[in-house]
Amino acid sequence: MPDPIHQFEIHPLIPIKLFGWDVSFTNSSAFMLLAVILTAGFFMVAMRGRSLVPSRLQSMAEVSHQFVASMLRESTGEAGMKYFPLVFTLFIFIFVCNMLGMIPGAFTVTSHIVVTAALAALVFLTVLIVGFAKNGIRFLKLFVPEGVPILILPLVVLIEIISFLSRPVSHSVRLFANMLAGHITLKVFGGFVVMLLSAGTFAALSPLPLLMAVALTALEVLVAFLQAYVFTMLTCMYLNDALHPGH
Amino acid sequence: MEPPPAEDVSRMPDPADNRSPGQQQMSREEKAAFEGRISDLGERLGKVKAQRQAGVDAELDADMRGRGMAYGMRMAAELVGAVIVGAFIGVGLDWLIGTKPWLFLVFFLIGFAAGVLNVVRAYERMQKEIAARTGGRLGQTVRDDED
Repeated sequence: MPDPIHQFEIHPLIPIKLFGWDVSFTNSSAFMLLAVILTAGFFMVAMRGRSLVPSRLQSMAEVSHQFVASMLRESTGEAGMKYFPLVFTLFIFIFVCNMLGMIPGAFTVTSHIVVTAALAALVFLTVLIVGFAKNGIRFLKLFVPEGVPILILPLVVLIEIISFLSRPVSHSVRLFANMLAGHITLKVFGGFVVMLLSAGTFAALSPLPLLMAVALTALEVLVAFLQAYVFTMLTCMYLNDALHPGH
Repeated sequence: MEPPPAEDVSRMPDPADNRSPGQQQMSREEKAAFEGRISDLGERLGKVKAQRQAGVDAELDADMRGRGMAYGMRMAAELVGAVIVGAFIGVGLDWLIGTKPWLFLVFFLIGFAAGVLNVVRAYERMQKEIAARTGGRLGQTVRDDED
């Protein structure tokens, strides 16, 4: 049976050593770069015309802009629109990486927790910096819910702090786990087809896992979009906490 | 949908034609045929509408299923994430202060409490989100066809 984990292996394409650190250009870097080039290329081509009556490409670009803008505006209000570039970049990058991963043989950048954790840490630090810069010490009110008896307040504050610290963990684990699990499942069902085909009379059963793999592929495309959406949605909600900590 | 037979078209009353008033009156058979066609058309239209509605329902259903899975994963991550963070803080403090394993146990439990808090909050948000998406028709869009 083909190894379902093999697809996640990282191997350096251009080995680079910098001050004793291994900073090689790997297949993961290559796909990140590809995602960035594709995105930049798409938006450059799509917005070249800038006509009042948009062409197909231009309306695709406008729809994606509109989608993220309304998501951000709904959860943070007008004040959050300042952070639109960050949120939009996150959404497009994750979405394109997820979709590139759906191409057979391609590498899924977001199936590595180091990538998703870096993105989640970026959001977490942005929330912290923006929160303290905008509200100063009042940002800490986020950890002190109103109407709690003074006796159990220390415990509640502790729980709130851990809850806050757990955000980047669940934020990154969700995206990574979804992509990893989905791709492993696809590979395993694909492997079943091959195994059954070489198992004599049982080859008659091989269309069953094949059907399953087809259905799973459709589901995975949906998951690829949904996880990009969920990641962005949570980013918007965390930003809202930074801008309006009083709930 | 198949086109109507040619003879039907020729018998269709045309309001623009200028026959005498007597000729414009339909004969009894013509009228019956016409009404038959109308009811037939209504039936076919109903079928098309039902099909279209079923398509929309199925799409919404699949969409909600996909979202359901995403929500499930989200809940699991919310709970587990907080427990892991609590445990790590406990282990770290134990290592700093040298109170192994007591702070680990305490912070593990506090982490669990924070996880439950996360899940409750995520559920409240989710409920709002779903209500907004289905227009408050929660429970009607996702029919239980498991049994």
